[in-house]
This record gives sequence, structure tokens and C-alpha cells, in this order.
Amino acid sequence: MDNVIRIQNLTKHYGKKRGVEDVSFDVNKGEIFGFIGPNGAGKSTTIRSMLGFIRFESGSIKILGMNAVSEHEKILKSVGYMPSEALFYPAMKVSDVIKYAADVRGMDCSDEAAKLCERLQVDTSRKIRELSLGNRKKVSIVCAMQHKPELFIFDEPTGGLDPLVQNTFFELIKEYVNEGATCLLSTHILPEVRKHCDRAAIMREGRLIKTDTVENLIHSAAKYIKLTADGKTEEYMFSGDINDLIRELSGKHIENISIEDPSLEDMFMHFYEGGKERV
Amino acid sequence: MTAIIKQELKLNLKSMLIWALTVGGLGFICILMYTSMEGEVMEMADSFSQMGAFSDAFGMSTLSIATIAGFFATEVGTVHGLGSAMFAAFFASSMLSKEEDGHTGEFLFSLPVSRGKVIAAKGMAILTHLVLFTLICGIFYVMGFAALGEEVPGEEMARFLSCMLLMNVEIAALSYLVSATSSKTRMGLALGISLIIYTYDILGRVVPSMKDYLFIGPFSYANASEIFAHIDAPDHSFVTSVLVTVLATICTFAAYTRKDLAS
Repeated sequence: MDNVIRIQNLTKHYGKKRGVEDVSFDVNKGEIFGFIGPNGAGKSTTIRSMLGFIRFESGSIKILGMNAVSEHEKILKSVGYMPSEALFYPAMKVSDVIKYAADVRGMDCSDEAAKLCERLQVDTSRKIRELSLGNRKKVSIVCAMQHKPELFIFDEPTGGLDPLVQNTFFELIKEYVNEGATCLLSTHILPEVRKHCDRAAIMREGRLIKTDTVENLIHSAAKYIKLTADGKTEEYMFSGDINDLIRELSGKHIENISIEDPSLEDMFMHFYEGGKERV
Repeated sequence: MTAIIKQELKLNLKSMLIWALTVGGLGFICILMYTSMEGEVMEMADSFSQMGAFSDAFGMSTLSIATIAGFFATEVGTVHGLGSAMFAAFFASSMLSKEEDGHTGEFLFSLPVSRGKVIAAKGMAILTHLVLFTLICGIFYVMGFAALGEEVPGEEMARFLSCMLLMNVEIAALSYLVSATSSKTRMGLALGISLIIYTYDILGRVVPSMKDYLFIGPFSYANASEIFAHIDAPDHSFVTSVLVTVLATICTFAAYTRKDLAS
């Protein structure tokens, strides 16, 4: 089974409001897949549909070869999910929350949990209500990883984590992925995607606008053009035959021009803004 | 599922104990007040029993409040009836919705457990706490009788507490449905339902034309005065109660398993 996640034509509306429209993408076994988009782009709606938190109107979702609707409970046994908010029961101790998550799974994860708590420096004796966002996120990471799932789904995981813990977090992901796990990383922190992901999908206004390897997204056919000609300065993305661009420019008095591969940030901003692109 | 039941029992234990100690303690104090009020109660008993509809409504026409059993049924019966109904409503109305209110739903529902199992597990926790609440209150009432050196009317007491428990289960089932469906003012709505049910029973006993429809409300079979006076509950009242409980539970399952989890 190559596709750990297969989403086809997923559509979900919240009443009259848009959720996601006709979203389709695959995530392959063993890859770290970046899921990028600004707030409200539909990333969380897609993830919540995958996990059975919300019902979608049309399309299909298969996770680990199983139907996300009819085999939802079975899927969750093999999934480790970290929500963006990382909220738990305030009166519980950290150790109780971690054990509770393992108990509901019917597993004894104490060894792995202890290892993760040590790596992430989680104080298990404290009550949840005493924890900062960053410390709650660390508890959430332990709960998502302690059962060594086949698929990780992280929704904005690094917000609130200090840089050292962020490094440990990505080291852990890579270790699990090297052991055969797959990871979907939903984020709007582009350097994380560039540094850690194999492929990525870009969402905008509920639609999936691009899926490719991170390498291809950066070194795509689209070029970032910065031009000063005829006393006017323009910046735009150009995709197509570069000779057409040269022909177009030949009639102009060019004072300065730069043609570059766009950064991931430029690509993202370009798609985010629905930016001007010449073909 | 066992883990969720244990978790809910543990999380709500303190709240249940506070309610049980309050309601049971109030009942205990009421029982102790009987000796100090015995003289006045004797004088009041006759006039209280002849106040027509008012006496009917509060059960004073069926049982003399001059006796300890009558005093218990009219005074503690009302305290326990209202107190336990409000506890059941308060407790059940937040059981499902608290996951969304506290944004813990994403954590709970990312674990391999279906919504149906969550509903069942939390429902079992509610039932267990209602049983414990009733037992604790029962212990207080028995202690009250013992403190006065009075013999506990065992059979009547057991029937009274069982009927109250059944009534609480019905109110909890309705409140559980509120918890699964309503997005706002759940607790107010659930407490309102329990008070409306109580008021319906009072009105049903005062207004003659409503007497035939008393069986709809659970207070009809859980009326302490009638239980201690060995008066049978209205026909169909138990069946109606069970039907309402089952129907509310089915609706809870139907609504909650189809509901989008709030973000």
C-alpha cells in the first residue's frame, strides 16, 4: 500500500459558508507531507474530515486503506493526532492524561511515554492547569507518539514550542518515519516545510491549488521576475517558455532585470494572494 | 470504554459528593428538626391536612406530618425530590457538551473510540453517580431516623429511594439529550426542564382536570407521601418513565453521532 492517505474530491460546507471544495491529494508511505495554507484555507477542515470529527458532503477519504467514515475507529488506532490547541482536562495530572490516552487505546505505552517525556523534558507530576501552551503542546506530542502510530497528523504543532523542543520534535518525527511511519504536517511556517517535508500541498480559500515535491515547488517552471523598464518597476511570477518572456521584453527599454527561482515563501505568497502570473 | 467510565467517575466524584452531602445533609437536618417541632407539628397536622388542593399537592392529605414517616415524606421528600432532580439535570447536561466547551473533544475523539461508545461510557458514569448519590442520601436519612431512636420504615424508604432514582434517571436522560443537541444555555435548559416537571406535578395535583395526566411526569410515581401512605402510583407512570428515558437516549445517540464536533 503506497498511499497512506488518499483524499478524492472532498467537499464540505458549514451551512452556506465554504469549508473545502473538491480537494484531492495522496500522501505516500514513509513521507513527511507538508500541508500549507493561511488561516481559513481549509487545512483543519480537511484534517477534521479525515479524523471523523466532522461529516463531509461528498468525496471519499481512505486512510491506511480504510474508509474514514465506516472504519473510523479502526483508523484511529493507527493514527497519532496532535491538535493545534492542545487542550486537556485542567484538573488532571500530566501523567494521568498520558496514561488515559494509552488506556483508551487499550495499550501499555509506559516505556515509550517515559522515553518521550525524557526527550521532551515533560514534567509529568504537574497539573494540566499549571502548564503553559508550550508545555501542553509537549504533552500533546507524547499522547500522539507514545503508541508508535503508522500515521502522524500534526496540526500547527510547533506554535508555543521553544526552538530546542522544536528540534527534538522534528528529530522524533524523522526517527519514527525512518521506522516506517508517515507524517502529515499542517502548518503555515514555511521554513519547517522546506527543511523537513518531502512533498507539500498548498491550500487557498478551500481549494487545493498545488501539490508537488518541495524541491519542485521551489524550482518550478515559474520564475520570479523583478523588472525596471520604461521607468516602471514590476514584480511578478512568470511561468511558460522563457523565450516568450524575452520576446515580450525586447521592445522595452530595460534598466534592470532579475529572473530568479522563487523561494517557498514567494510561491506561497503568490498562491495565497492569487498573485499576478503571466504565462 | 472502561477507561472513559473510570475517568468520568474520577473527574466528577467531588461534584457528586458535594451534591450528595448537601441534599443528604439537608434531609438529615430536617429529620432531626422533627423532635424540636413535634409539638407544633401535632397542632399543624390537622389544619394542614384540611387545606384542600394545597394539602393534596404536598401530600399532606394522605399522610399526617405529625408522624415521623409523614414528616419525612412531606419535608425530606420535597428536599430530595427537587435536590436530586437538579443534581441529575446539572450533571447530565454538561457531560457531553463539556468536551466542546473545554475544547477537549479533539483530544478525546482522536482516540480510537466511537462517539456511540463515548455516549455509552459517559451515560454509565452518570448512572453510577446517580446510584451513589442516592445511596449516600439514603445513609443520611437512615442516620437521621437512628439519631431520633425511630425505627426506619425500610420497605417504604427503599421504594422511595428507588422511585427517586428512576425519576433522576429520566431527568438525566432528558438533560443528556440537551447536552448532545443544544449549543447554548444547556444547564439552564436542563434545570428548567426539571423544575417544569416538578411544577407540572404540583399543578396536576391542584387542578382536578389535570389529574388524569399526572402519569406523564416522573414526580407522579416518586411522590414520597403516596409511597409512605402505600398509595399506588398512577397507571402507566412507570412505563411512561421508561419510554421517555429510552426515547431520550436513542435521540441522544442519533443526534450526537451525526453532529460535527465544534472547533
